[in-house]
Amino acid sequence: MKKQLLIIPTLIFLFIFITFFYLLLIDRNPTDIPSNLLNKNVPEFETESLFKKEKFISSEEFGEEIILVNFFATWCKPCRDEHVYIKRFSDEKKIRVIGINYKDNNKKTIQWLKNLGDPYSDVPIDKNGRIAIDWGVYGIPETFVVNKKGIIKYRHVGPVNKKNFKKLNSLIEKIKQ
Amino acid sequence: MTPLLGNFSLWLSLFFATLQFVVSRRYQKSKIINISVLGLLVSSLLSFFLLMYSHIVSDFNVLNVFQNSHSTKPLLYKISGVWGNHEGSMLLWILVLTLFNYFIIKLYNKKNSIFILKTLETQAFITIGFVLFTILTSNPFRTTSHLQTEGLGFNPILQDPALAIHPPLLYIGYVGFSAAFSMSVATLSIDNNEKISWYIYMKPFVVAAWTFLTAGIALGSVWAYYELGWGGWWFWDPVENASFMPWLLGTALLHSLIIVEKRKSLQTWVLLLAILTFLLSVMGTFLVRSGILTSVHTFALDPSRGLYILLFIFLIGVYSLTLFGSNAKRYFNNNYFSFFSREGSILVNNILMIVVCATVFLGTIYPLIVEAFTNDKISVGEPYYNSTVIPIMIPAILVMGIGPMLSWKHENKIKIFEKIFPSICLTLIMTIFIFFIYQSFSLIGIAGIILSFWIISNNLIMLIKKNQKYHIGMIIAHFGVGLLILGITASSVWQEEKIIRMKINEKTKIEKYSVIFDNIEEIKGPNYVALRANFIVQDANKDIITRLKPENRFYPIENNFTTEASIHSNLFRDLYIVLGSGNSNDGWIIKMYYNPLVIWIWIGAIIIFIGGIASMNINLRKIKVFPQ
Repeated sequence: MKKQLLIIPTLIFLFIFITFFYLLLIDRNPTDIPSNLLNKNVPEFETESLFKKEKFISSEEFGEEIILVNFFATWCKPCRDEHVYIKRFSDEKKIRVIGINYKDNNKKTIQWLKNLGDPYSDVPIDKNGRIAIDWGVYGIPETFVVNKKGIIKYRHVGPVNKKNFKKLNSLIEKIKQ
Repeated sequence: MTPLLGNFSLWLSLFFATLQFVVSRRYQKSKIINISVLGLLVSSLLSFFLLMYSHIVSDFNVLNVFQNSHSTKPLLYKISGVWGNHEGSMLLWILVLTLFNYFIIKLYNKKNSIFILKTLETQAFITIGFVLFTILTSNPFRTTSHLQTEGLGFNPILQDPALAIHPPLLYIGYVGFSAAFSMSVATLSIDNNEKISWYIYMKPFVVAAWTFLTAGIALGSVWAYYELGWGGWWFWDPVENASFMPWLLGTALLHSLIIVEKRKSLQTWVLLLAILTFLLSVMGTFLVRSGILTSVHTFALDPSRGLYILLFIFLIGVYSLTLFGSNAKRYFNNNYFSFFSREGSILVNNILMIVVCATVFLGTIYPLIVEAFTNDKISVGEPYYNSTVIPIMIPAILVMGIGPMLSWKHENKIKIFEKIFPSICLTLIMTIFIFFIYQSFSLIGIAGIILSFWIISNNLIMLIKKNQKYHIGMIIAHFGVGLLILGITASSVWQEEKIIRMKINEKTKIEKYSVIFDNIEEIKGPNYVALRANFIVQDANKDIITRLKPENRFYPIENNFTTEASIHSNLFRDLYIVLGSGNSNDGWIIKMYYNPLVIWIWIGAIIIFIGGIASMNINLRKIKVFPQ
């Protein structure tokens, strides 16, 4: 056996070490999962709207400005936690936010939004979870960024918190340009 | 008061570990080294039991207790809660490390002094690393900022008896490999003119580590089987892989040590294996605790911790591997051996274990490497592991049956056949018998059944012959592996699953059993409320076999749900029922599993454990017989 072969373990070790080190240093989130819908048009849907009499028709709503689509429910505790940040998007950043109300009770939702504040320009109701299936949502809250052409540019799984609020925000700024 | 004492004892551990490191470098046994080893043991015992005391008396001013405990929690889980969280588990890790440290110094004598001192130096370095890590990033004795009267509770999914003893066993495994690592480093760095039989010293530690790691992994599987309610016991989860990889390398290490002992070959290889096994153990900790991978098991995430562990791995890894690269050539020799010999079979097994380990390693970190280089996310799951690991394991198990019966150096081929002929017959008879009972055919199933009876009958024959050449610990452990394979094969190939919606008084069938949904009731446990469904299970003759009562528990303090599967086991099969969501109008979602021969997995694991303990005893005696 050649002596030189003895350094192979060290080399493999260093390679793995550098990979891990790089992954730890870069700002990454193992829970952010790519969506099949990324860079595709918003799935079409029609449904009742919580506060408006007319139906919510997706083809009429998307495609003019950047819109944040937030799946939420009153029974979901993380939704309550992220609500502050969703509000900041609409209040401070003046971004239109559509909140899709997932498998919920209308009365409770109205009360919930009264108590916590309503950041949503419209609240389409997803009574049986059909819309969520079309969007590939598998747990709420989830938040999508849709650009001016009605194309989904980003998907965030889980609640928006301080850290990823910044990230989402800079992403939106980028899409705006 | 307790936090203050706890912090003090942690710093004391750091002091004694540093003392041990410095003193052992001087290559002279002095009283100080004895004092430091003992001091380290006492101080880490102290810190561990102080934290345990805080948990038992529910001292919520200790942040760790506040975050992980609650006054209504049963005593057993107050105690297991000590290591059920990241900070406390580090104390347990340190405690086990210092225990092994203590055992190592017990082996000291005049002739091996250089070797043992060098080993203690490396052990001290590892201990310093872990104590510093605990003090800097995960101090369990931090106090809460203001007075707390009640705790936040303990993850209910971890409140399980199997999980209470799973971490200690696992840590004995991981940390035991640290002794092998230190001995390997010591062997590589000393000038081995005195020809110290380092492998004699290394072996009992490896056997102990391997035995406890096996038991630890088995208990983890028991927990997954009973607690997660997914009907299975192994999910190729990154955290499971993190313990499986050191186990595979440990298996290779254990068997290679036998060759070193008998033939003095493969020394370089064993030195490398000892290093890699421990590095993989620490890497497992890194993967679990850093949050770099997502897994159902990741309970404590903090990237800063990850960075620390990674730097630590870097230090010990680069040091030991470069030492290996520069000094290992001393242990080269050109002893080639024939394929048909005991050492030949061990070598084949060795290679196959390494290949399996590399495959699992690749599957675990491949998504990370892909992400680092291309930014794409992929996931590697069960199909990959099943289609790669199983085919490599099959020849390994075939060789395992015959290997121990071969002679050293060279075996006559006709003689081999004479030796294994009875077990071939026995295997055939038993396989046909099993298929006669189960009447179910599948290729993997047949392969698995043949392999398990191959191992079982070979070991039975060795046991009956009572030949002095055969090692009783090995026979017992191998026999256990045979039973394990039987259970694994049957429960994965012939499992039946049924997921249906049922209303009260409805009836369904699984295999030959009728299951009747009798009623559903609310019950109250010590720290939870639960919905409990009652099922009556009848066999083909309509005789009631058992009542199964799966629960959906809600833990109000932690605001968390768990499912408690209800299982009826006998030697032939498990009936496994899980209660899903639903209501009385639409019915409830019920998951049912018929799992054949599962119990043999646990029985096999227990027998392997017994074999390991027996073997540990024999190997410890060898050190006493040949004091170097």
